[in-house]
Amino acid sequence: MTLDETDLRRLVAPDVPWVTLVWDDPVNLMSYVSYVFRSYFGFERKEAERLMLQVHTKGKAVVATGAREQMELHVEAMHGYGLWATVSKADE
Amino acid sequence: MILPFQHRRDGVHLGLAEHERELLRDLVAQLVSLLETHDDADPAVARLYPPGYDGDAEADAEFRRLTADDLTAGKIENAKALLASLHADRRAPLTHETLEAWLRSLTDLRLTLASRLGVTNEGVPDPGDRNGVVLRDVYEWLGYVQESLVRAIDR
Repeated sequence: MTLDETDLRRLVAPDVPWVTLVWDDPVNLMSYVSYVFRSYFGFERKEAERLMLQVHTKGKAVVATGAREQMELHVEAMHGYGLWATVSKADE
Repeated sequence: MILPFQHRRDGVHLGLAEHERELLRDLVAQLVSLLETHDDADPAVARLYPPGYDGDAEADAEFRRLTADDLTAGKIENAKALLASLHADRRAPLTHETLEAWLRSLTDLRLTLASRLGVTNEGVPDPGDRNGVVLRDVYEWLGYVQESLVRAIDR
């Protein structure tokens, strides 16, 4: 019996396929969202701006990927900043 | 014209006039009361405590159970730090912690007022009566204060 790549990934990192989603809202300023992305996640200005604009124009953006517990910490932190964020499975 | 926040050589200073500080004291006191009461049926409270999971009620309930108390404590702490800084020594720059508290508490205030006004992506709807107009003006002023703060920090 052999393991295909998906099975292997599941064995090696069972908690990996989760993401932190940030959703668009009509209140938070673009400059503030970009500031939060940089100061909390440590993104470079260009990347923070790209993600902020994605939230603004597409309605949401994936800002982090990893273990479920880590994504819950990120979402909790985003709620502390007043941003609307949720934890999701990576494939949803 | 004096900006609400000013970046000087020694750091970021609060430039708000006394009547503006008075208005903020009143608004932040109301925010603290809203947070302490925590009425789940209040749409503003719903926005201050967004779901942690989209479309998974069970996971969301567990997330809320684990995070809501800390979130409330943090929001109240930020509000109190903002209030304290309103009558602190005006010659001293604000600390990084105080600026972060301002950013977050102004956001909570704006989210609360936006919920009362029914703000959508289309903007602020016609407020209708005199009180609504005042509320809209305050909401827009808070946006200006927040923008000034982000600019003063982020340079």
